[in-house]
This record gives sequence, structure tokens and C-alpha cells, in this order.
Amino acid sequence: MKFAKELIKGLWKENPIFRLVLGMCPTLAVTTSLENGLGMGIAATFVLVCSNMVISAVRNVIPSKVRIPCYIVIIASFVTMVDLLMNAFAHQLHAKLGIFIPLIVVNCIILGRAEAYASKNPIRLSMADGLGMGIGFTMALALLGTVREIIGSGTLTLWGSIGWNLGAYVDQSLIFMILPPGGFVTLGCLLALMNHIQSTIARRNKQVFEPPRAMDCRHCIICKWGE
Amino acid sequence: MKWLLKLFDAMRPMFDEKKGVFRLFTPIFETAENIFFYPADRTKAFPHVRDPLDLKRYMGTVIVAMFPCVAAAVYYFGPRVLAMILMSYVVGGIVEVSFAIIRKGEIHEGFFVTGMIFPLVLPPSTPLWVVGVGIFFGTFFGKEVFGGTGRNIFNPALVGRIFVTIAFPTIMTSGWDAPGAWRGVADAVATATPMALFKTQHVLTPWFDLLIGNTAGSIGETFHLGIILGGIYLIYAKVCDWRIPAFYLGSVVLFSALGSSVPALEAKVAPPLFQLLGGGLLFGAMFMATDPVTSPSTKVGKWLFGVFCGLLTVLIRSFSGYVEGVMFSIVIMNAFAPLIDHVVLAVKYKEARTG
Repeated sequence: MKFAKELIKGLWKENPIFRLVLGMCPTLAVTTSLENGLGMGIAATFVLVCSNMVISAVRNVIPSKVRIPCYIVIIASFVTMVDLLMNAFAHQLHAKLGIFIPLIVVNCIILGRAEAYASKNPIRLSMADGLGMGIGFTMALALLGTVREIIGSGTLTLWGSIGWNLGAYVDQSLIFMILPPGGFVTLGCLLALMNHIQSTIARRNKQVFEPPRAMDCRHCIICKWGE
Repeated sequence: MKWLLKLFDAMRPMFDEKKGVFRLFTPIFETAENIFFYPADRTKAFPHVRDPLDLKRYMGTVIVAMFPCVAAAVYYFGPRVLAMILMSYVVGGIVEVSFAIIRKGEIHEGFFVTGMIFPLVLPPSTPLWVVGVGIFFGTFFGKEVFGGTGRNIFNPALVGRIFVTIAFPTIMTSGWDAPGAWRGVADAVATATPMALFKTQHVLTPWFDLLIGNTAGSIGETFHLGIILGGIYLIYAKVCDWRIPAFYLGSVVLFSALGSSVPALEAKVAPPLFQLLGGGLLFGAMFMATDPVTSPSTKVGKWLFGVFCGLLTVLIRSFSGYVEGVMFSIVIMNAFAPLIDHVVLAVKYKEARTG
């Protein structure tokens, strides 16, 4: 029961992208297409689950003063594994993601879960937490990638085989969306949409919904539409 | 006008905010009333100033000041210009009105200026749908998302312009209509703008052509005589402060004079008079940098803002891949406007706070 609860919270209630607004660097940089977003998400999920389990296993051994270097070493070894594995079995994707694979080491979601959850909880729950967070992260990246790829380049491809080309219907793709500013705009719109959904649910349950303070979005009251 | 007043009085209960049948459309009713008369609700507490002065008059003055540019644009680039302005007003108006309805607030007159400026900074051959997309992006992401008129960080018209520049590079750089081409007066249909001519071939357009707008360029930016007249009118009517345009233009003159007097940079930095009359500098300095919302409100802040805008304009024009740097410089300095105000106030009132 508790296992399922830890697993589900990362998908929606504490979604690392849409609720905690963590790990913005890969989120904005690699989501130019669905494939890139999905690949990044799966790589990060693998590292997240493994590092959460190992850190949780050795949590009573690590002295608290040097815990961050220890976490980094553990996370870095898994990132190296992912880096080499992807280079061997998914070489094209690895080439596309480039520097962002080694950068998973300093991804704040992974370090954040290690510090906030795995260092205090048993292995089984830590694994559930990592898996839930990882899937939530992957879903968010895939969503961003899908939106940006469809609008930005007019295609939707998955592993090169399942393809969908809109080129026949449109003659003007919005290059803006696959450039960095397009990433910010898409993320902002999706965050606003998530806040709107949350506020609607909260209103239905007769609760008060406050958007995360970090987003400082008090003036744009689109999410309160329909109140 | 009595019958109109009676009509509005008769319609008022229907648009009552709480009980009216059409309460969803209260903002539209109030705006229509404001256009013909004055706001129905008066200030209840004193001090009372007996003058229906509001945003509307400010914005109206700006529109009047831009009239020469629009007239010249129609003369040089044809009636298509009017279609672009209409498109911009319709799409921008739909965004503005729908947000007023969602917010249950009022429709601000600010969008009349944004909707006018935006088509004026576009190339004459821009397709109408690009005008629509640009003004939508500008009002939605440049203004409404931040909370509407008075809360935007960046000039909405410039946000829209930069968006279309980045989003549709092929359309926006495909060609510039030569002035008078629509009447068959010009020798060529398309030509390069004075700034591009200088950058690529190092040709200086004669200053008289630049002054009367007989060059290619964005719709409203070419007729510099009209822009100067409009700017003087704005300053005379005290709608915009003289400091921003004066320091902006002054710093462009200063830095371009410095740059073009260095032999090594002569090929890159254009001389001061050409910098002033070429491209969109005057239009930007008079109508966009002076936007009261996105520029600093302290006096020292205003001249700092102007000086840095000028420096950035000269730098971008001379050393970047873009031919024109006015819009980028204004948008960059828009981001710094609150910081400039903060620093100016902190320095000015340091003694008062510590003492």
C-alpha cells in the first residue's frame, strides 16, 4: 500500500517538472522532439532508481558531513554506465543528447530525491519513490517534446520507425518552437494548464488552491477562470 | 449626442456587473461608454480634479502623433498597410477583450497603441496571417500573461516583432518593397533597406531620401520627418518625457561618432547622421522606448535607460549579424528598467534610510 502511494505521488501530486519545478536544464534543452525527451527521461529514470536504492542501502554507513560527495560518486557511477550503454546500443540518440547525458550527475531531481527521501527511507520505498519520480519526469519531458516537435518541425517520430509527418498539410512550421525560447513558452503554457487543472480539482473539493510561490504568478489569473 | 446618452442609460441595467443579463460582457459595454462619454463611476474620495483625464487621452495622443507615419506609409506602400493595421486591431482586440471578460476587469486603451505600433514595425510585404500571429503572441505572452496593461515587463509590440523575426525568418527577410512600387513608380519592386545597404555594400543613402522616407524599410519607420513632428508633439503634450528620446538619440550620436572616427572601425560603424535617420531608431526612440510602463519612472533612470539603449543600438547595428538593433536594445533595456529604478532610488534615499 505504501509502496503504491510512493510510486503514484511522483506522477501527479509531486511531479518533478510541473509541481516541484526541478531539473529545468534538461527539460528545456533536450525536449526539441518526442524521441529526445523520452530518451532523456528513461536515462534519468534508470539513474534515479539505481542511485536511490544504493543510497538507501548505505544510508546508515555514510557520515552525514560527507554525504553529498558520497551521493555524487554513486550517482556518477550510474551515469557513466548509462552513458556507455547508450553509446553502445542507442548511438544516434546518444549523439543527439550529447552533453546532457553526463550532466544527469548534477540533475537536481536525482540529488534532491537522494537527500530528501532515499537517505531516510528503506530500500523498497526508495525504489518506488525513484521509479515514480522518474516516470513523472519522463512523462513531462515526452509531453513537452511532443508539443514542440509537432508545432516546431511538423513531425512526430519514435525511434525512427513510427513516423508521422505533417509536412503534407502545412507549408510553414514554427521554427521558434524548437529554439530555446520555444521551450520556455511551451513549459510556461503547460505549467499554467497544470495549475488550471489543479485549481479546478481543488475548487470541486471545496479547497483553496494556491499556485507554488516559486512561480510568482499572482497577476495572471487565468487559472482561476470559471470560478 | 443626447439620444446616445439615453441609449447607454437604458442599456446600463442589462450590463450590470452582478444582476445584468449580459454581465459577461460588462467590460465591452463600459469601454464603449468610455469612448463616447466618460467613465460612469466617478472618484468618490477627494482630492477631486475636474478633468476626465485617463489612460484613454494618453493613448489617443500617441495615436494622433503617429498619424503622419501612417499617412506616409499608405502613400509609399499602398492601402495594404491599412489592412495590416486592421488585422492587428482585430486580433489584438479579441485577445484583449477575452482577457477582460475572464478577469471581469475593464478593457484598457493600451492596446490601441500596441495594435497600431506593431504593424508599423513590420516589412510592407508581411503576409496578413503573420501580422495576426505576431500581435496575438505580443499581446498574449508580452502583456496579458503578466497581468495586463501596466504590469507588462516588455513592450508588447516589440515582443510580437521579435517573435515573428525568430519564428518566420524566411518570410521576414525575403524582401522589402521599394517605396511607390505599388503604384509602379519605383524602378524595382524590391530593394534593400538603407541599413542593409551599408552593412553589405557600404553605401550611404542620401540623407534627404532618408528624411522624407523615400527608402525601403518597415512600414512606419521610413518617414522620419513625420516621426520627428509626432515626437515633438508628444513631448509638447507631456505624454512622454523628453529625457528618454533625447538621451537615446544623443548617445547614438556620441557612440557612433566615437566609433566611426576610429580608422579600424570605420567600415563597420556608420556615421552619426546616417545612424539617426537610417532604420527604425527615431520611431523606436519616440514611440517605443518612451512607453510609460516598460521604461524607468525616475528622472535619472530615464536618462540612464536612454544612454544604454543608444550604446546597445550602435553595438548591435555595427558588430552583430543583424542589420538593425533598435528593437533588441529596447527590449533588453526593458528588462533592466525596474533594476535601474531600484538602484536610483536606493542611491538617492540612502542618507534618508541610514540616517
